Amino acid sequence: MSKEKKTKNPKVKIGKLEKKDALAGYAFITPWLIGVLAFMLYPLAQSFYYMWFNIRITPLETKFIYVGTGNFSQIWLENPEFPQQIVTYLWQTILEVPIIVVFALLIAMMLNGKIRCKGFFRLVFFLPVIIVSGPVMNMLVDEGAATIPAMNVQAIVTALDSFLPASLATNIGELFSSMIMILWYSGVQILIFLSALQKIDSSLYEAAKIDGGSKWECFWKITLPTIKPMILLNAVYSVIFLSGNEQNSLITMIQAAMFSGTKEKGYGYASAMAWMYAVIITLVVLLFFLLLGSKKDIYDKQVKRRKRQVKKEARLAKKIERRGIRNVKKLERARKKRNYKTYDGEGDYR
Amino acid sequence: MKKRILSALLAVVMTASLAACGGGGGGSTGNVDENGVTTDEITLTYWHFEDETTMKLMAEKFTEMYPNIHVETRLIDDMSQDLSAAASAGNFPDVFAGTDIDTALANQYWMDISEYYDADPETQNLLPTINEYGLGCFDTDKRYAVPTNYAPSAIFIDRNVIKALNLEMPRTDWTWDEMIQLIKDATREGSAGEMKYFGLGYYNRLDSLYGIAACSPEERQIKGEFGFNGEDFDLSYWAVGEQEFSDLKLNGYVAPQTETQEMEDWTGDWEGYFGTTGHVAVFSEGFWTFMNVWGVEGYQDQWGLDIVPYVTPNVVDEKEHNVIGQMFMAGVSSSCEHPYEAYLLLKFMTFGQDGWNARLDIYEDETILNASNVPLKNAGMPMPTTMDENVWNRYKQLFYHYEENKQYWDDFFASVTRPVCYGWCNIAGYWNFCDQYFNNIGIHDLVDAGKAKAADYVEEATNKANYYHAEAMISYFGPNGYDILSDEELAKYQAVVDAFAE
Repeated sequence: MSKEKKTKNPKVKIGKLEKKDALAGYAFITPWLIGVLAFMLYPLAQSFYYMWFNIRITPLETKFIYVGTGNFSQIWLENPEFPQQIVTYLWQTILEVPIIVVFALLIAMMLNGKIRCKGFFRLVFFLPVIIVSGPVMNMLVDEGAATIPAMNVQAIVTALDSFLPASLATNIGELFSSMIMILWYSGVQILIFLSALQKIDSSLYEAAKIDGGSKWECFWKITLPTIKPMILLNAVYSVIFLSGNEQNSLITMIQAAMFSGTKEKGYGYASAMAWMYAVIITLVVLLFFLLLGSKKDIYDKQVKRRKRQVKKEARLAKKIERRGIRNVKKLERARKKRNYKTYDGEGDYR
Repeated sequence: MKKRILSALLAVVMTASLAACGGGGGGSTGNVDENGVTTDEITLTYWHFEDETTMKLMAEKFTEMYPNIHVETRLIDDMSQDLSAAASAGNFPDVFAGTDIDTALANQYWMDISEYYDADPETQNLLPTINEYGLGCFDTDKRYAVPTNYAPSAIFIDRNVIKALNLEMPRTDWTWDEMIQLIKDATREGSAGEMKYFGLGYYNRLDSLYGIAACSPEERQIKGEFGFNGEDFDLSYWAVGEQEFSDLKLNGYVAPQTETQEMEDWTGDWEGYFGTTGHVAVFSEGFWTFMNVWGVEGYQDQWGLDIVPYVTPNVVDEKEHNVIGQMFMAGVSSSCEHPYEAYLLLKFMTFGQDGWNARLDIYEDETILNASNVPLKNAGMPMPTTMDENVWNRYKQLFYHYEENKQYWDDFFASVTRPVCYGWCNIAGYWNFCDQYFNNIGIHDLVDAGKAKAADYVEEATNKANYYHAEAMISYFGPNGYDILSDEELAKYQAVVDAFAE
């Protein structure tokens, strides 16, 4: 057995060239590692520590007063704005993410077609990604650039109010009032879809066409199943983007709490708020994962079942083998002790 | 040899102890002149909420007085954010003015300046309530800040409207009821095609004014909003004013606010301002509105206005009474390395006679314009907090048509010498009370809309206000804060907190 194992996983000494390659690899990822450690893991650990304290930054010193879960109860019991904003955030994310993903897919498919000035149009749709970063978006929103001027949002809300609950109607109304902004958030998703679409093997479409498949059928049977993982990826990207951008009122609330000088707010309070918000974002991501995560098809299931069966049989065979060996040893021991009799073949037992 | 070592050690100990005295005593460190002011080249930072051009010029004037002290000024955008960030980054200003004292006290931003303040003879010549009510002491026996940027809440009357409606101008020492009556009398529906006349246009709510003017000092020594007397609150006074104001609004005596449908219906302009309509008789405005808007040369003629200031009326017919006003608090930061020089700067920028004379030199020169091309006296000019006669005489002359309306202005100025700050500038815990309770449940909106009566909230709001104040006093001045409260005081505030919890 042990010999077999050795042949299965032979220990090969890494050569100089491979070592060099490995070192180069580490050197390449070192800046990223440093970045993650310094600007992600350390602040994460720090904020996790902070959330149990009331932190007062005086001009002379930083005071840490342990409050345990005090920050959490303060947020949920004394700050009615936080739960309200969480509800609004959930509604908006659930409504906006599908719009962004569908819009990005449509644009990506159009850009993937045979059109003139393809590069220019790709640039046009990616430009907002550069523009929306930083304070430019805030300025544009202030100027009313986020809404479609001809759209009467108030009329839409009034109409929705008549048959939907007020909170839902308001959130859908909000969706219309920031429609342009939402569509502006689609730049990266368009690129991801575009790259996925370009990787689909064209022979699949050719085969489908030969079999008489229409474009509509090709989309549903080839395009969509192939880029399905990208839909999940884009949905997750959209959730993260919507949850963390400057337009998000929860982010501004956390930021304001961080720099607030009132006695119960500050870094500790903001950290607690941020961690609770992070948990909620994770749940939203999980929700999209459950909805869009690829399910195994029947063939996959059968293969798995067969593998399980083979494993089971192998286990059983081993079990029988072990039992046989055990029995042989048992007999051997008994023979040595001579406390058993065997038939000698001549009608007698010895 | 032993002697030498001993004397050397003694010298070291003495030097160290002297240095310690110098640091802890609050005097200047390093080389000082005969007045105790440093002769070293130093730079002080002053953060404020006033017009930046004015403050820069003031800083230059201060440096003219103390050539070795340079001053860098900065306009504060958001007090909480700017100061928290500065404290985190270790570049906290030496002197700053604050709009919200809860933030400053919760983080011990200000140092105790009692030593300098008490030894300064000029502090005895300030508006009386500053020392009488301890404005800037926050109900302790220490002084952490001094009031600055004073702008009383003022009542103005448009004489043209009074004339157009054939009404009599009220006496300048009028009472509250007389003001309410005038507001009602001056509200008239316009005849066909004519705009309606409204009795009142407001920026400051009447309940804020009423809460201070509500009673005589014998009845209750009100020295803050919501009937605060330095110990506890009594919102019953506020409730009367709140209800009266709400009734005026609900019954159509109050002009619409800007950017409302009512304003568009009234003036045809969504962004209209009641102060330019010539159809409002009485204004409850910020004092700065006069200098920033109506007091600009030619403005009143352009809009057909003739606006004069009036005394905020008292409920009881007393000539001398308190008025509510905006007063920011300015102090020396607890991390300041040159506290005495910082105090001198604070004094120059806020209440000092030299500082005010320097300010008036700046304001009188109308060729100096700020970044918005406005003469500095029309850019939020505050009112002096010193009682110095020379300063006041020069100050009064800055006002538009002062000589023509001398009686009105003199009566008005005489009536605003007993200011009481808005709560967030003088009462510990006030901001939290408003943020977490009063504004959170929208009491103003509910009462204004007629959905609730102010009186319904009196008991609960009074208890809450007392609780927030007591909790804040323990937090700010107790062992986790400045640690200056005695055991008895701590027990007193703790009892309020405990009673509320029960």
